[in-house]
Amino acid sequence: MKKLYSNKWIILSLVIPGIITFVFAILTPILLSLYYSLTDFAGIGKANFIGFENYKNLIKDKVFWVSLRNSLFLALGFIFIQHPIAIITAAILDKLQGKAEGFFRTIYFIPNVISVAIIAYLWKFIYNPNFGLLNNILKLFGYTNEINWLGKGMAIWSVIIVLIWHGFGWGMLIYYAGIKNINPILYEVAAIDGADAKTTFLKITLPLMKPVIQVNVTLAIIAALKQMETVYLLTNGGPGNETQFLANYLYKQAFNSFKYGYGNAISVVFIIICLASTIILNKIFSEKEYA
Amino acid sequence: MTTKIKNNKKTKVSKIIMMICLSIVAVIQIFPLIWLLDFSLASSNELFTTGLLIIPKKIQWGNYVKAFVDGNFLLYLKNSLLINGLSLVLVICISIITAFATTRMIWKLKTAVKTFLLLGMMIPIHATLLPNYIIYDRVGLTDTIWALLIPYVAFSLPQGLFLTSGFMEAIPKELEEAALIDGCGVYRIILIIIAPLMKSSVATVAIMTYLNNWNEFMMASTYLRSKTWKTLPFSVLEFTGQYSSDYAVQFAVMALTALPAIIIYIILNKHITKGVAMGAVKG
Repeated sequence: MKKLYSNKWIILSLVIPGIITFVFAILTPILLSLYYSLTDFAGIGKANFIGFENYKNLIKDKVFWVSLRNSLFLALGFIFIQHPIAIITAAILDKLQGKAEGFFRTIYFIPNVISVAIIAYLWKFIYNPNFGLLNNILKLFGYTNEINWLGKGMAIWSVIIVLIWHGFGWGMLIYYAGIKNINPILYEVAAIDGADAKTTFLKITLPLMKPVIQVNVTLAIIAALKQMETVYLLTNGGPGNETQFLANYLYKQAFNSFKYGYGNAISVVFIIICLASTIILNKIFSEKEYA
Repeated sequence: MTTKIKNNKKTKVSKIIMMICLSIVAVIQIFPLIWLLDFSLASSNELFTTGLLIIPKKIQWGNYVKAFVDGNFLLYLKNSLLINGLSLVLVICISIITAFATTRMIWKLKTAVKTFLLLGMMIPIHATLLPNYIIYDRVGLTDTIWALLIPYVAFSLPQGLFLTSGFMEAIPKELEEAALIDGCGVYRIILIIIAPLMKSSVATVAIMTYLNNWNEFMMASTYLRSKTWKTLPFSVLEFTGQYSSDYAVQFAVMALTALPAIIIYIILNKHITKGVAMGAVKG
């Protein structure tokens, strides 16, 4: 067995497809990005080497910081609005037996399987000042001012609402799976001790869900950093750059402003930020568990 | 006796409250889609109402005909099915053989190679848009099926490898030893012994790959130019320009394009629920 399992040619034949795909589609582009980030390449023509000029400009670029701030807002929106609702919904769903449980679970997840392209345009219509759903709802309550939801000052919150809405089912499902893993005997014991629903939730469900919450919070922060597609279609970072996110900004710089080199500098910084956040979050959460 | 009745009443009341809470969330999640469906059946002139929903004077099936024909629905659906099917098969095959090589085979660099490949999970896809655009252009892959297949496979592979190798470690080695004695080679062991045991994790990998790629359009719109390989989201993306003032038709194309994904979801409901739960606990 040992001889067969250490045959170099067989090993090579097994790992080569994976390695080639990875190198060609992920590693080479990153290295190329690094190279272009040190040039003033405009997409066409010659690329002149300009050292760290792009990076220096990036630190001074207000939009870069706005993008990071928006990711932070989005992450906070996920953690403090989407997740609490998701956990509570999951806990209630868990108490419900029978067909209703499956029915609600299915409904909650449906927005998740629909393409961002559809979701973004649908919400563009929902926010439409003339026939949009949201203004019509407000009219029902007697509020007749037409609000420009994607206008100045409002747009970032409107974008965050769409993202919270779209990703809700996913977060809920993960919490739901976590709650299902809790030993039902614990709930029975709590019921015998006369604990009410609130106490049971706070003293049993939440503490036992800690690892799941940590995974979900990590995923939410990373998703907030990586956000691109919804913003690209809904506002493309506008008005101005109010709703800009890193991924969308690098795209815009390269393809609309023809600052291809600068766009690549953003790409590189973007990768570093994502890697660093993942590693830091994993460190924080794993250390806490040992403590 | 009385306390029992009281308790029953109490559980009934709490059950009603629970149902109300769940229903509110359900309405928030689903009403925009009902609104979409409703507006897609009306004529554009009827959209400007003050009510929430419209009762169309005549149901406008014509909206859907326009959406179907001018949205290139069939072509894009075919492309989506083909590209996603192929990337699914490739991700599963490559995940299994790579997982086998890095968990079972005996060589020095196996942990290093595995860690290296798993790093891919942390790399943001959109950071590769600019360099890949140049690479595919130079190599002549722009506007071919490979421009989508390669990145779709590459970015689903790390997670696939993670899920399959985690599962593979739990398979007892005795099975393979018996097969080795019978004279099986490594490839046959993977195909005949390992692969059939991996069904549940393969299902998870398949579902995660599908959910990652089915709705992807950023790479597609960057690396493709002609219609030939464009996928389903393009029905919507291209339509808004074409019918910019005919809103009802735009609603119809969105509803139509959403349909395949919803049908797939309803058919695979249970597996998707399980897959997402398993796939998420990867960290």
